[in-house]
Amino acid sequence: MRMFSVSHKTAFVVDHCPYMAESCRQLIECDMLTKSRSQGVIPLAPVSKSLWTCAIECSMEYCRILYDVYPTKKLVNYIVSDSEVHILNSWKQEDQNTQELMAALAAVGPPNPRQDPECCSVLHGLVAAVESLCKITEYQHEARTALMDTADRVANRGRIICLTNAKSDTHVRMLEDCVLETIQEQNKLAAGSDRLMPIQQCELVLVHIYPQGDDTLVSDRQKKELSSVLSSEVHSVRAGRYLACKLNVLVQQHFDLASTTITNIPMKEEQHANTSANYDVELLHHRDAHMEFIKSGDLHMAGSTSRDSGLKETVTLKWCTPRTNSVELHYCTGAYRISPVDVNSRPSSCLTNFLLNGRSVLLEQPRKSGSKVISHMLSSHGGEIFLHVLNSTRSTLEDPPSISEGCGGRVTDYRITDFGEFMRENRLTPFPDSMVDAAGRAPVERAKSQLERQTRYWPMIISQTTIFNMQAVVPLANLIVNDTLTDEDVLTCQKTVYNLVDMERKSDPLPISTVGSRGKGPKRDEQYRIMWNELETLVKTHVGTSERHQRVLDCISACRSKPPEEEERKKRGRKREDKEDKTEKNGKDTEEKGWTADSERLKGVMEREKDEQSECEIIKDSPDSPEPLNKKPRLATEEQQPPEKSKGPVSLLTLWTNRITQANSRKHQEFAGRLSSVNNKAELYQHLKEENGMDVHENGKATR
Amino acid sequence: MPTVVLMDSSLSMTRPVSVEGSEEFQRKNLAVHGLTMLFEHMATNYRMEFTSFVAFSSLWELLVPFTRDYNTLQEALNNLEDYDKTCLEAALQGVSNIVQQEWGTSCPCQVVLVTDGALGIGRGSLRHSLQTVKQRVEDKKFPLPFPFPSKLYIMCIANAEELQATDGMDNLEQLINLNGGEGQIYTMEGPLCLKSVQSMFGKLIDQAYSPFHAVLRCGNLTSDVQVFPRPEPVIIDEEVDPLPKTVQTDLEIVGFIEIGDISSPPVLSRHLVLPIAVNKEGDEMGTGTSDETEEETSTNQMAGKSPNFCVLLHGSLKVEGMVALVQLGPDWFGMLYSQADSKKKSNLMMSLFEFGSEPLPWLGRISQLGPASDAAENPYGEDDSKSPFPIQPKNKRSYAQNVTVWIKASGLQTDVQKILRNARKLPEKTQTFYKELNRLRKAALAFGFWELLKSVAELLERECTLLPDSAHPDAAFQLSHAAQQLKLASSGDSKYAAFEHNITPMLTDFSGGGGAERI
Repeated sequence: MRMFSVSHKTAFVVDHCPYMAESCRQLIECDMLTKSRSQGVIPLAPVSKSLWTCAIECSMEYCRILYDVYPTKKLVNYIVSDSEVHILNSWKQEDQNTQELMAALAAVGPPNPRQDPECCSVLHGLVAAVESLCKITEYQHEARTALMDTADRVANRGRIICLTNAKSDTHVRMLEDCVLETIQEQNKLAAGSDRLMPIQQCELVLVHIYPQGDDTLVSDRQKKELSSVLSSEVHSVRAGRYLACKLNVLVQQHFDLASTTITNIPMKEEQHANTSANYDVELLHHRDAHMEFIKSGDLHMAGSTSRDSGLKETVTLKWCTPRTNSVELHYCTGAYRISPVDVNSRPSSCLTNFLLNGRSVLLEQPRKSGSKVISHMLSSHGGEIFLHVLNSTRSTLEDPPSISEGCGGRVTDYRITDFGEFMRENRLTPFPDSMVDAAGRAPVERAKSQLERQTRYWPMIISQTTIFNMQAVVPLANLIVNDTLTDEDVLTCQKTVYNLVDMERKSDPLPISTVGSRGKGPKRDEQYRIMWNELETLVKTHVGTSERHQRVLDCISACRSKPPEEEERKKRGRKREDKEDKTEKNGKDTEEKGWTADSERLKGVMEREKDEQSECEIIKDSPDSPEPLNKKPRLATEEQQPPEKSKGPVSLLTLWTNRITQANSRKHQEFAGRLSSVNNKAELYQHLKEENGMDVHENGKATR
Repeated sequence: MPTVVLMDSSLSMTRPVSVEGSEEFQRKNLAVHGLTMLFEHMATNYRMEFTSFVAFSSLWELLVPFTRDYNTLQEALNNLEDYDKTCLEAALQGVSNIVQQEWGTSCPCQVVLVTDGALGIGRGSLRHSLQTVKQRVEDKKFPLPFPFPSKLYIMCIANAEELQATDGMDNLEQLINLNGGEGQIYTMEGPLCLKSVQSMFGKLIDQAYSPFHAVLRCGNLTSDVQVFPRPEPVIIDEEVDPLPKTVQTDLEIVGFIEIGDISSPPVLSRHLVLPIAVNKEGDEMGTGTSDETEEETSTNQMAGKSPNFCVLLHGSLKVEGMVALVQLGPDWFGMLYSQADSKKKSNLMMSLFEFGSEPLPWLGRISQLGPASDAAENPYGEDDSKSPFPIQPKNKRSYAQNVTVWIKASGLQTDVQKILRNARKLPEKTQTFYKELNRLRKAALAFGFWELLKSVAELLERECTLLPDSAHPDAAFQLSHAAQQLKLASSGDSKYAAFEHNITPMLTDFSGGGGAERI
């Protein structure tokens, strides 16, 4: 595909001379009287368009289709010619839309029949069109700038479509000669300019428009090379719908378009809302959407029919009512913008509105064998409708070996959920063109560097990591990968570390994998050593990022468990730390809740840790802890003594019962009585005492 | 890229090759030897390739339909019989049919033609075919170029000198030209022997069947992969940028996008991304090149058990319903996703987007895609309810903006009727009445269709006279006001005929202040 083919630039030259004001002599009744009101009323005379109106609306239709299918890179320069030249827009991309052209055309208005025909000519327009074709477009400029010393690869080609009313074949030849001469002149001029380019190839399409009922004075002529630069063709067409047909055919030829008719579209009847009839809608799009039909010579089998215009063929595809709205990734070999042929007919607008609302429609290719093949899909993206070509032939990739049979396929404990979370965090979003960061990096480079930072230490399987299985590490792990840290972030990281220190002091179990090792796995202090090492590994990979990152590492190095001789020294500072820890813990708990735990496994880990934390809180032997509850003499042998972890080994039964009790206690609200009980005995009618002014706090425990 | 092996089994292939000493070979033996080598290579390094085997002489026969079972292909090769004369055109036509039946016309194929370069005599000879190539009727066209994208590799069991002595070489070159230059001719160097046939097929293997190995990267997470089929170079614009673009061997993930947001994008090609184990010497073990089966199995088992990033990525893409955007080279991107086979198998796949900085209009320029966390506000919403995609184009398409087209009379009539319908429901429909009126006015002015404005003005005036007694007094005022404004516009007076000007409802006592507010 060539970017700078003839269709890159199209100059429309429309004749605005007095004779274009003539009627096309096709009458349109716009006074459609309803039966009940028609009595006694004389209907208004029908209206008829002028040649000018016909030319304008057909050329606008040409532009409408062109802009629908090619919103960029195919440019139109619209020129109106009478006694002078009116250039209605430029090659600039921002000028390329029909609204602006319509406004400019309104300013020009219809031709003035009283103007002196002698001083009016379409020649002015043709000369202007050639001059305009020499002007460089922003795309040509961009390509030339990018190519530097091979800038001469950027070609300058274009097409002039001239809508006029010619006098005779001689007149046509005169117009052609004029274009050829102007090209030669302009090319000389352009050779010496930076903003101009000589025309290498120009196609002149002369459309002679004449009123219905007249005999044409100009004969049709096939495309003919007038010189190595200029080719020309002449179409002699009656105004009105014939002209519309002609320009529709031309836009298809000029821009490689093809037509598809969607058939069997169910649509509610306007009059009878509960009945539905089937409609057809014809769409235009790039002809590559039919490539499979064209190549296989299947065009006719695919239900294509010749249309009234004679030249045009359309492929019929059948609507398949969409069943679900599920998002699916179809194997799609092409997607082409469409433009409805009859844009504001009811069936067309029903179809386009349906699609613009976000539904996709699969299209079925009728086959002679009667088998059903889905070959295309209509879908809108951001307010543009595309015809997607779906692959309907056998795939060369069928029956591949499953990923579980290849490398790494036998590993079962991948951190799938964690990586899913990672992917969500690394989703992309568009940034405005001006958005470059301080280092001048494009957003996509920032995305890559974020991925790099976040994967410096990223174990792929659960059994390879301890820290990523621990809720307690999450705040630090999330922050340390950032490009910059605030003081507050550093504080959060430090708190995380202190929290770990605290866990270690309490000998909380760690979620260390026992895979591959026999028995219980490593001992507790060994577990913590592994955990600290891993945490250090993680933080070390980010140490170079900033001084604050370094501070986090420093904190870890300072706090992590040291060989026994250092243990003593550390103990001294411990009490103060404990206090700090407590106040911090409140904050931490809420943080943990905010973090969306994603896997059942992780939840388990988290709950276990919390359990153990709360367990520890009860039996904490710091001076702040409340007096032991069971100071009272035992009345009976206790079945369910609170666990006393600190005093030697606990039996398996106790461990188990505690676990079950704790699990159960989460499922219901504890009885007020049991909560305030002492050794499973609760005092009844306490409020009576209260009312009597007696001290209920005798156990040193507050009632709720 | 499926392969068709087209084997010449004419009598000339049985010509003996003079080898000093030892046993005597036929050219056919050499051909079989070369193809055996090719099949063995494919079975180990390129085993996802579908290959079919066609033998031809004056007739052609599909001996093995497309398969990945290289034993079957080998067996057919070993049992090949000898037939009569060479008749290439019919065989090429056969290949064309076989491929189209199986894969359609969009799937690129490789055709490996093995021949001794004796291309037949008289009718049906290649010389005869080529001489008449321009005088064909529509349904008897020469089969080249194939209707599907193709590469034609011609393996000559002959050396170049031998071919140049006749017009064999010229004819074969012409064949490649007919196929749009897509393909290559291989000849044997030196004496015709096993060694030279090996070296010739070795070159073919390097050219067309060398596996594409790459490193898939997501930050610091990497995996060695084989991409199958090999991504082929593409030419973007033969004029401005004639250099073919190739996929680089470093596939770097840029970020992730939801399947719903990427929305069935058009792709150039699809490829399997198969993780491979590379040992320290740099040989691939995962694909199994070794002959020692025992060792191979154990290596494979080892590879299966060590974690691989591809498997992790595949699992998460599948679970999350996302794709990974991957950079294939400067200004070239693709996507990685999980593709489920009809059975319970699934795989990591890579699709290549069209070359360029903006392959999908609804994603915008890829270079402008950055991490969502950099945005001031989470573009996906706190509860994942939003999406920054699709990107809206600057201008709406015609079907989304209520354009006016009067090419068919019915279009014009509908628009006039709409105005009249609303005119009869004044003052309730004042707003829609003026909206439709202004739409018609704008179009009529742009098209220079002033006559229509006059006609509609007359219609409105008549409506005014036909108003029933029960009509709201405001209706008459609005109708005559609208009619008057249209008439003024049709005069072309720049004060009233300005395109941007809108006719506004008349302020009447009846509409009161409310009328003005409604506008």
